[in-house]
Amino acid sequence: MITITLNGQQREIQEGSTVEDILSIIGAEKQRVAVVVNENIVYPEKRGSVLLREKDQVEVLSFVAGG
Amino acid sequence: MDLVQIGSYTFSSRLILGTGKFGNTASMVDAVRASGTELVTVALRRFNREETDHDLFTTLADLDGITLMPNTSGASNAKEAVRTAHISRELSGSPFIKVEIHPNPQHLMPDPIETYEACKILAGEGFLVMPYIPADPVLAKRLEDVGCASVMPLGSAIGSGQGLATAGMIRLIIRESTIPVIVDAGLRSPSEACAAMEMGCTAVLVNSAIAVAQNPPEMAAAFAEAVQAGYRAKAAGIMPKSGSAIATSPLTSFLDTTS
Repeated sequence: MITITLNGQQREIQEGSTVEDILSIIGAEKQRVAVVVNENIVYPEKRGSVLLREKDQVEVLSFVAGG
Repeated sequence: MDLVQIGSYTFSSRLILGTGKFGNTASMVDAVRASGTELVTVALRRFNREETDHDLFTTLADLDGITLMPNTSGASNAKEAVRTAHISRELSGSPFIKVEIHPNPQHLMPDPIETYEACKILAGEGFLVMPYIPADPVLAKRLEDVGCASVMPLGSAIGSGQGLATAGMIRLIIRESTIPVIVDAGLRSPSEACAAMEMGCTAVLVNSAIAVAQNPPEMAAAFAEAVQAGYRAKAAGIMPKSGSAIATSPLTSFLDTTS
């Protein structure tokens, strides 16, 4: 297991998890979201191949209502 | 047909809608439809499954003819705003960005310095930059000079409903500007949107006045009519003011009542 920070919270995940795996864990797999890992945007076509590593900072973002 | 050009986009509506503060998503969608708007704002936040049972992007994408304008709310400086803009563009596919940097939650006044810095960067990267700004004619001109697609001076504080408190300054901005001037924030009622258009604004952005109304879709429709009325009035040439009365009926040739 490795520890990453996901949306500001520490989380233990399986070593070898991809970005796509993380989206499934948080229920975002069918949502239109943006993923940023260590300040780099991970585009949708790369999410199945980008592996997460210990201490990675991951942000999963979506649009909400706002003025 | 009355069309507004911003960048390579053409709009037939001069009413831009904010999607925040509605009681629920259905009410917001009804208001968007009733308003006839073609440009709506959204905010970017951390995904939270518990807080969202729907995908707002998909909800809005399902409405015909809507372009998204993500805002940079939450950013407290230029760096954060630029980061938000990059992520928003990737997520929305839209080149529009409402640069909104207001670090103090008490008054939500936009930071002019961080706004300018962010706009300079984003305009250089090809965004259609729509900055939310204090009604400052000097700042507005500086933002035009660095390539903003419009300037969006506030009428009064966000959500305050204090109307066109900055009317005098907005008039100055309009006089000096060659890009669209869009009043954003503080409008409370359709008559104020009409007044903004009569002044010469290209469009208005309304959120609270519709979202917090007792009947948001009805209010949205009323705003749409008011914006059109103001635009038509300005185009029709509003009569000048006079310091003294100028009769509308002849003052001579009365009926002679003496015999």
